[in-house]
Amino acid sequence: MNLLPDSQQQQILDTLSGLLREKAPIDRFREHGEVGNEDDRLWPILGDLGFLGLGISDSFGGVGLSAAEEVLVYREFGNQLLSVGVFGLTLGARIAALGGDDTMCRQILSGSLIIGVASSLHTPVQMSETACAGAFHLFEASKADLILLMNEQGAALITADQFVERKSVKPMDAILTLERSQLPASRPALWIDASDDALHTRAILLASAYATGIAATTQSMAVEYAKIREQFGKPIGSFQAVKHLCAEMAIRSEAAQSQCLFSALVVAEDRDDKDFQAISSKITSVDAALQNAASNIQIHGAFGFTAEANAHHFLKRAHVMDQLWGDLRHQRARLLSLPTPAT
Amino acid sequence: MDLHFSAEDQQFREMARDWLRDNIPAGRRPHHGEEMRTFDTAWQKTQFDAGWAGISWPTEYGGLGLDLTRQLIWYEEYARAGAPDNHLCFVGLNHAGPTIVSHGDEHQKRKYLKPVLSGESIWCQGFSEPNSGSDLASLSTRAEIDGDELVITGSKIWTSHGHLSDMQELLVRTDPDAPKHKGISWVIFDMKVAGLELRPINIMTAPNLPHFVQCFYDEARIPLANVVGGLNNGWKIAMSTLGFERGTAQIKDQIRYAHLVEEMITRAKKRFGSENLHTDEIGSRLAQLRADMAAARAMTYMTVSRAKAGNPGAESSLMRAMVGQVQQKVRRLALDIIGPEALENPDEDDWVYFYLRTFSTTIAAGTSQIQRNIIGERVLGLPK
Repeated sequence: MNLLPDSQQQQILDTLSGLLREKAPIDRFREHGEVGNEDDRLWPILGDLGFLGLGISDSFGGVGLSAAEEVLVYREFGNQLLSVGVFGLTLGARIAALGGDDTMCRQILSGSLIIGVASSLHTPVQMSETACAGAFHLFEASKADLILLMNEQGAALITADQFVERKSVKPMDAILTLERSQLPASRPALWIDASDDALHTRAILLASAYATGIAATTQSMAVEYAKIREQFGKPIGSFQAVKHLCAEMAIRSEAAQSQCLFSALVVAEDRDDKDFQAISSKITSVDAALQNAASNIQIHGAFGFTAEANAHHFLKRAHVMDQLWGDLRHQRARLLSLPTPAT
Repeated sequence: MDLHFSAEDQQFREMARDWLRDNIPAGRRPHHGEEMRTFDTAWQKTQFDAGWAGISWPTEYGGLGLDLTRQLIWYEEYARAGAPDNHLCFVGLNHAGPTIVSHGDEHQKRKYLKPVLSGESIWCQGFSEPNSGSDLASLSTRAEIDGDELVITGSKIWTSHGHLSDMQELLVRTDPDAPKHKGISWVIFDMKVAGLELRPINIMTAPNLPHFVQCFYDEARIPLANVVGGLNNGWKIAMSTLGFERGTAQIKDQIRYAHLVEEMITRAKKRFGSENLHTDEIGSRLAQLRADMAAARAMTYMTVSRAKAGNPGAESSLMRAMVGQVQQKVRRLALDIIGPEALENPDEDDWVYFYLRTFSTTIAAGTSQIQRNIIGERVLGLPK
């Protein structure tokens, strides 16, 4: 039993964090326009180095590792607020591989197909091999060839032009493009039933890993600021009111990170309690991301409230992570309905 | 990263499970007095006689000399079996004992460790004073050197079960002129020594029965050889074991509480109906606590992973803080599930008794506020 990364995993992490610090620094958002981002320029680079296909078998052009490695890189993606389009690629490649579409899988892994992410609105969703339908938010879908759609029944890739009444809306998280749209009953290009692979569980797990990145980065931003910002002649981090806020952030981060790694290993082994653990992970990590992002704004004071500071980006992205594949309320209701894990 | 235990670890787990199933004492553990002492020491002796005491303690002093993974497995199985917590043995097993293992001399180890494991010797703590609580290092109980003896004068307070204890781990000021952290010594105090008087203090769960004592030392004499880890080195000695040992001992609590949350879900479904629960505020809180308890276990595994990599570190304080606050939330929710019956017979309903008892978890061994100072300063590097 060991929850720490081994040397190979550490090497993956070091390579990726170095790459993202250089190619995707948080300050990149200041140079961009009002809505959107240019992260799709990163997909071929990440694909080339294997980061998009870590959990995909090497016979489909992946690296042949597990959910454990995917979780480690998604935490890094969260640290740098990488476009949520990356979920479309990782999970879309898995659908393509499991669906036996070698060409599509390799196209996704090379970054030459763009996959938007659908997130259901309040209406009921229909999901089956023959027809998917409902009302959706579409993230990062403006240039997308395919849309990723999933729930507890299964996972689908749907060609983007099957979505109708598409309307751009102003996103709270302006780094992402957001549309509202309807999907009339449409046959998916590829469908993986939940009984064949727990893709939805994996999606929840990866969203939670991303959220742990938000929780950890906002924690270190707040702590670093509390060490240098002086008031009353002392760094504000020396005052217990601020110090204890930081300590709470660290407790939440540690809880979320530990549970996320634990549940990644459970998912990798396809254990019976994988939903229990992954949902617990999403609950603790989204809660940590939301609360830490809020505390980070508070500790930065008026500067934290400005558009110029990066603090608000993390808060807004934490809300996106909450909504993806079921928000806290939904996850709590699901968790309550599951049986007690055997172990 | 992996969740697997070796074949040897698995075998150890099965042996522990079988033994615990056949040997845990029957009946409810008494919460007070000599009855509690008899119960706790007998249960400890049963474990010792069967070769299960001191999993990670060195073999030459009666332990099993096994690694932290086996310690984790033992605690997991212990809690899973529903074995009673022998609180009276806690200080000896989880604090004084490990301190002597790490810092004691050969004579001290030979004399004091085995009786802790066998349940013959009950230890209590003499750290806090009436004017030195969170500011522990300001303590003023004096120990003056007189030949080969220490002469102790002063007072300690909040000593749990002091009236039922044989020995005390005691922090005394041996150099009043040194800076406050540098004039303290950690000493072994025999509770039978002349010059010690005890005043009982009752607690909120049992207004008629003593739990704490205040200790008054009036020129009480102990051998100078009872100093552990060197004269005036006591602060470092006390801090080195305070965090980590208590952290690993919490594994049992954390598993027991996860089981309790599952019991609470069953009871809540009965009372409110399972079809209503998921839309009820109680249901939402139960789900949150299920997630929190899962995370608490993962934090334990993370703490053990770090310790095995040779870096126990201050991070274990994160787990302690988390588990302490979740315990209170669990106990509070249990009361809300019981409903009006919670107002009756607190001594007979464990859910009510432990609700009240859990108010100590964010005070004992450093209040949650002091723990947040420690996290801020030692984990995050924030200035004092």
